[in-house]
Formats: sequence, structure tokens, C-alpha cells
Amino acid sequence: MDHLYLLATLAGTSIAIETAEVEAVVKLADISPVPGAAAHVAGLSALRSRVLTIIDAAALIRGIPTATAAPCFAVIAEIAGHSYGVMVDGVSDICRADGGALPLRGQLDPAWAPYARGIVEREGRPYLLVSLAGFIEGPLAQAA
Amino acid sequence: MDELLQEFISETQETLEALAGEVVAWEADPADSDRLDAIFRFFHTVKGSCGFLNLPRFERLSHAAEDVLADIRAGKRKPDPATVSAVLGIMDRIGELAEAVALGAALPSENDDFLIAALTGIEPVAEAEPSAEVESAAVAVSRSAGPQSGPRTIRLPLSLIDQLMNGVSDMVLARNELARKLRERPADPELDTSFDRLSSCVADMRDVISKTRMQRIDRLFAAIPRMVRDLGRDLGKRIDLSLEGGDVEMDREMVEMVVDPLTHIVRNAVDHGIEPPDRRRALGKPEAGRLQLQARQSGNQIVIEISDDGAGIDTARLVEKAIAAGRLTPEAAARLDPQERAELIFLPGLTTAKAVTAVSGRGVGMDVVRANIERIGGLIALDNMPGQGLRITLRVPLTLTIIPGLILRAGGLHFAIPRAAVVEILHDTNDTLHMAEIGGAKIATIRSVRHSMIDLEDVLGIEKSGQSGPRAVMIVRSASGVPFAMGVAAVENHEELVIRPASPLIMATGVYAGMTLPDNGKPMLLLDAAGLANAARLPNIEDHAVAAADGDAETREGLEMVAALRFQALTGERRLLQLSLIERVEDIDARLFGCSGGRSFVRLDGRLVPVVGDPGVQTPDKVAALRLRDGAREACFPVAAVLDIVQMPAVPDMVAMQGLVSGVSVIEGEHLEVINPFALFAALPDEPVAERSRGRCLLADSDDGWTREILAPLLRQAGHDVILGLPADAVDPRDVVLCSAADTAQAAEMFGCRVVQLRASQRPAGPADTSIYRYDQDALMQALSGSRAGRG
Repeated sequence: MDHLYLLATLAGTSIAIETAEVEAVVKLADISPVPGAAAHVAGLSALRSRVLTIIDAAALIRGIPTATAAPCFAVIAEIAGHSYGVMVDGVSDICRADGGALPLRGQLDPAWAPYARGIVEREGRPYLLVSLAGFIEGPLAQAA
Repeated sequence: MDELLQEFISETQETLEALAGEVVAWEADPADSDRLDAIFRFFHTVKGSCGFLNLPRFERLSHAAEDVLADIRAGKRKPDPATVSAVLGIMDRIGELAEAVALGAALPSENDDFLIAALTGIEPVAEAEPSAEVESAAVAVSRSAGPQSGPRTIRLPLSLIDQLMNGVSDMVLARNELARKLRERPADPELDTSFDRLSSCVADMRDVISKTRMQRIDRLFAAIPRMVRDLGRDLGKRIDLSLEGGDVEMDREMVEMVVDPLTHIVRNAVDHGIEPPDRRRALGKPEAGRLQLQARQSGNQIVIEISDDGAGIDTARLVEKAIAAGRLTPEAAARLDPQERAELIFLPGLTTAKAVTAVSGRGVGMDVVRANIERIGGLIALDNMPGQGLRITLRVPLTLTIIPGLILRAGGLHFAIPRAAVVEILHDTNDTLHMAEIGGAKIATIRSVRHSMIDLEDVLGIEKSGQSGPRAVMIVRSASGVPFAMGVAAVENHEELVIRPASPLIMATGVYAGMTLPDNGKPMLLLDAAGLANAARLPNIEDHAVAAADGDAETREGLEMVAALRFQALTGERRLLQLSLIERVEDIDARLFGCSGGRSFVRLDGRLVPVVGDPGVQTPDKVAALRLRDGAREACFPVAAVLDIVQMPAVPDMVAMQGLVSGVSVIEGEHLEVINPFALFAALPDEPVAERSRGRCLLADSDDGWTREILAPLLRQAGHDVILGLPADAVDPRDVVLCSAADTAQAAEMFGCRVVQLRASQRPAGPADTSIYRYDQDALMQALSGSRAGRG
């Protein structure tokens, strides 16, 4: 069966996210910081009457929080009853990948290892398949 | 078909819940044919529907029950306890089956024959009736069941309601944004009017939608009668149960949270509180124990009272147990007063049950009940009358999701904190506050009570932003814990906050309790007082008035001492007021004080609170004020300065009742007047001060220059709400119409409100003339107030 993927850039890497996970992509105007929270929690942002917890996924990968001065894109998802926004550098396309997810080949950067699920290919270019839930649950699971 | 089945299952489950109480009530009074009819109707409906839906087991069960009930209706059989139990057994089995069907699980395979045999095994007095007769009886019932009272309702999925609420919240935010944009433009009255109409529609809608979250407390009470009956039978006790206030409404989630604690308290009352009948007879009490559950709304709290006339808490044994368990030293036990002894029941692992019974005493005790109630921001209080009974009062907030909160600023960010957690707010320039720093630890001493002090910015690890004015210091107390002082940049506002749960990533910090989205659309975090204390690793040392009391009690033995606040009154004298009456001390902006209708008030938290004590003297800036509460009413008592907390004798050294003062006490060689709290509250107006508490003055002759230019300002100055001309809409019966022409007076009387007629001449036209000379101010004011009081 064919899957739809959202193609985006995160921490300079091309990634693919299954569209079933994605609720929307929005441009965030304003993020209120959450002092005391983990470094990858960029803060809170309001999307209409919903409050999103914004995840700085690049901070998880690179270990350095992204400067959040400029308006940035976030992929909105509802995970375990809470609304999250995962910050990405940019969004390029939504497409169908004929082969579905392919297994990972080659040596993956250890930073990506907890989040990568496979490879999605489109027009001969590989995209790293990640799951949004991984960014939210991943660090917690690792800590446990 | 699936939908029909779903409908049938949920309807059956709901009716079962409501019916459990009915069966018990019917057993208590078998002559009550209404209740019998209701139960009969239930079985009949189930039987009818399951024939249609092809559920043979339901059908057999309900058919058997229906037969027996029909016999009882026909007077062929008596509703003895065994029969009632059997009927209840059948109802339970139907409930189990319904649940199994709802879950799509296999039906539990116990033999229903056993239950049916229990029902019919007790042989009826007459022979079993041929089924034709039963059918005809059943038909008669369903016909008589026609006009069912009660409001019409429909069933809705919860997700739909949540969606609706979210939609309305979106609407409010959109309106706020629109309001901001409108303010930026040049004013346009026409646009403003339509916008105002939109605003009020949205506000109304929000109110209505939030009501959909409310649920009658009946639901909480529904399971109680059945439980009490079953327990009473098991234990051989007779219990007279009364439930009151089932129509009080509270938040749906709140109902769920209160079910367990309430069940536990009721079980305890039946098991340990109420004595067996023979013992009660020996004590001269009626054989049947009385158990009363009462719910009522008090402000934004729901109060649930559970009282019984049983043995009460055996405090002596409780103390014994606490000492045995190493929780208490014998010396400390000797110092406890009866109330504190009774409250030992909240210690974990203590129970007065001599043996573990099937009902209670299994280790899950009152400590868990209290923890559960406090977790939802509630309070639990005991009123123990040994030998006479026990009354437990639960106070829980109306809703989990909307709480009054204070907005504070720290490091350029805004945070909210539940107002219930804040005891006192001071500016750090206040004279009563002394701050010291030693080895990095901060200590704040307020009126000789020492508190651990933290700065919110330090705990959260944010930069302190530079500021010109004084910082605010708030004394914060969590539900269980020692109060501490917290420094913040400023306390800005108070608001009713809609609290939402925060995501696990944010809760992991341990210092937040949730988040909220205020009208400005910027999310804000709600601080958790206990979490902050933990995060700052504050030591758990209480430097409390109680500790001071120990020392003082030894020096002035034999005298009953109470904690009192020493303060300087606005008139300059130094006085004392019993501490327990003071809810908190606050610096209030002098501009918030006002005067209406001869009474002083202050605007606090969006409502008017009466001001008591020395009137008149106003300071230009901040006024220190004591917030007082006598349980129901509150008042504000402005003072010049708060000095410290001392121990004063419960009875003044010299009793001299005069005005607000009840006597004089000597504290540390100083003569201090003691304020009489009775006189303070007795001076309060009966009704709460409301901005439109007393109706309006309607001036009929609005075209008349004298009325407009002289009368209206006079009335306004006297604190009346004045309206020129007769309003087009309905006239309130509390309104007073003022006019000068006699025919207008008659016309105005038709409105059904009181009329004061004025005349221009100094002398009355005749003996029947009840009008008042228009420059006779005293008579006019008397007429206004008198006509209200007199003819009201």
C-alpha cells in the first residue's frame, strides 16, 4: 500500500514524516518559554484556543537549542492526548512514495539513531523517515 | 441494529443506576406503589426490548422479576427483605450482562437459574399466576406511565461537548483580537454597538456551554442508598438514610473525583459509627441509626456534609494507637485538644476498627480520603461529638478547570498561581518584613515569624530583569506543607483561569500544575506551590505561632491563650484582634476604597467587600488591610500598620464592652485594646454589598429642569442609582418612582413599584396629601429608604 509522506528539513537533514501522524503545519509567531523544562522544550504556543508544547527537535539531534527569534515552521501532532508542535527548518512537499519505507543502510549518525525508522526514496533522493512521537517519547523512554 | 442495541444498553445501565435507590426506598415503605410501579416498569421495558433485540437471557431474568413484582402489586405477595434482595440480585445480573454486551465480551456464564430460584423459591402465598394475567397487568402499567415528569434530555457524546467548548474558546479569542484591532482605529459608535452585541452573545454562550459540564449531585448520591442498605443488612444494623441537595450541580470531573472518598466515609459511618440496634437501645437512642448526606453550594465551593448519630470517633483509643505506632509521644498527646485528637484519624495507617472487617479497616484509611480531597483543592473537616455522632464536611471547588488565580511576573515572564495557595502579599519595602541572607540561604521574617525565602527567578533559573519599583513577596502555602516566602518581580492581576493539563514534558519539571490561555492569547504556566518548595529543596521547618504558644503557655499557665495580631489602627491606637478571624493581610490600593449608600466598601477580586472598623481616615497610597471572615461573610479592616503576632488571653484582662472594643489586655507590659469580633461582624449589612442592591430611583419627570439638575445629583450623591424617565423595559419591584404630578403618581403605581410624590409648596394640600416637600431632604431620604423597607 502506498503511504503519503510529508517531506521536510530538520537540522539540515531531509526527513519524511507519515502524514497520518501530522495534523497540520503552521508558522509559529510567538513562543512563550517554559523555564526549568528540558532543553528541547522550546516553549508554549497558542494555536487558536489550543496550547501547543513546542519541541525543538534540532536540539535533540545537535544538542544545541535553536535560536527561536524568527518565525518558524512547526508540524502539529496530537500525541497521547496532548498537542505538540515539532519545529522544523522548512517543509517542501507532500508525496506518495511507491516503495514505502525501506530499511536503513549505511552507518547512521548516532544522534539520529533513536529517531530514524527507515528511508523513504523519492525521485532517487533518500529521506530519513522519522516519527513525531519519537521526538516526544524518545528522550523519556531513554531516560527510563 | 447495532445502534439500537447500543441505545438499549446505555438506557438500561442508566435506569439501573437511578433505580437502585428506588428499590431500597420501596423496601422501607412497601406501601409506596409509585416506586413499585417504577421498578416494574423497568423490568417490563427490558423484557419488551430484549424480545425485540433477541437477548434471551435478559428476557428470562426480567420476566421472572416482573412476575414476582406483579404478584406484589396484586397483593398476592409481601415484599419481604429476601424478595427485595432477590430483585436486587436480578438487577445486578442485568447490569453485568449489559456491560458484557457493551464491551462485546462473551456473556458471563453463571447460571441465571439460581437467581430466578432465589426469587421464586420463596413460595408465593398464592399459586403462580398464568402469564396472560401478568401481561394484562403490565399493559395497564405502561399506559399509566404516560406523563413522565422531568425535563426532556438527549444523549450526546462527550467529545462533541468538548469540541463545542473549544469552538467557543476560539470564538472568544477571535473576539478579543477583533477588539484589539477596533481599538487601534478611530472610534466608530455604530461599529462599537454591534461589536458590543457580539461580545455579550459570545459571553452568554460561553456561560451556557460551561453549564454542559455540570452534573447534578444526584449522580453521586445514586449508589449510596443501595450500599447503605446492603451494608446495614450484612452488619445487622438499621439505618435511616436521608439525602438532601441532590439538585446541586458540580463539574462532571469533580463528581468522579468525589465518589471514592464519599463512599469511604459512608462505609465508615455505617460500619464504625452507627451502633448495633441493641446497643443503641441500651444507650437510649432510637434503634435505627440516622445517616444524613447533605450537599449545598456555597460560593464557588460545594459543601457535602455526612453526619451520623453514632458513637463518634473514640479519641482515647485513637491516641493510644498513635502512641503505640510511634506517631506521637505521650507528652505531645497530653497537649492535644479534642479536635486535634480526632484529627489523628487522618494519620496514615491508623484506624479505630478493632478488627479488620469486610467493610472497612483494611488499611485504606482516612489519610487516603483526605489526600484525595486535597488533591482536587478541597478541604475535609471533622466535627466529633463522642457518643453523639460525627459530622464530616467536605468542601470541594465547583470545578476543576476554573480556579481563581493571581498573575505574577518574574524575569519578564508571566505566571499564574492558585489564589488559595497565597496567604499574604507584601512589598519588600514593607516595615513588617525583614529579609536576611546567610550562606546563600534567604530568610524572611514577617511579624517575628521566620519563613524560608526563595526568589522565583532563582528556582526557575531565569534572569532577574532590572526594575525600579519594589519587588513583591508572597507567603505561599501548599495544601500540605510549610508556608514559605517567594519573591517575584510583581503581582499584577487576579483572574478566573481556565486550567488545562500540561503535557508530560512540562509536568516533568515538577514546578508547574498546568497551563492556561488568558485572553491575550499568550499561554501561561500555573505554578505548583508544593513543587516549588521541593525544587528549591526548602527545609520543612515550621516557625509557627504554635511553637511560640508552647513557650508562652508555660509562663502564663492556667490562662487560656489565643493567637492575636497586634496592629496599629488608623486612629493611632495599638490594638489586638484574634488571629483565627484573619484570612490574610494585604496591601490594597487606596483607590479601591469607596462609599455607597452610607456604607464603606472596597473592590476586591471583582466584587464589593464591606469595610469595617475605623472609618474615614484615608492614606494616599497603599492601605494595609486585614481580610476577615466569619465563615460565611467577609469584611475588610483597614489598619495603619500590622505589628506582630502575640499570645493574648482568650478573655481580656479587663472586660469593657464599648463599640468595637471588648476590653483591654496587657501584653509585654503594654495596654492594648482588644477588638470585639462580634461587634465587627454585627456591624455588617445583612445583605452582601452589591452595586445594585437596592433598586433604582426612576425620575418620571425627566424633562423638568429641577428634577434633572437638582434632584438627580442629590440622589446620586446619596448613593442611589438614578435613571431619568421611566424605562421602556420591565420595572423592578425594588425600584422607586419619584414624580411631582398626582396623575403621574397614579400611573406609576400601575407599574407595581413604590412611588414617592414630591410637591413644590411647603405645606401639604390637605390631610390626605402624602407627598413630600421637595426641599425636605430628610423626609425625602426617609421616604426612599422607608418605602423600601416598609412596604417591601
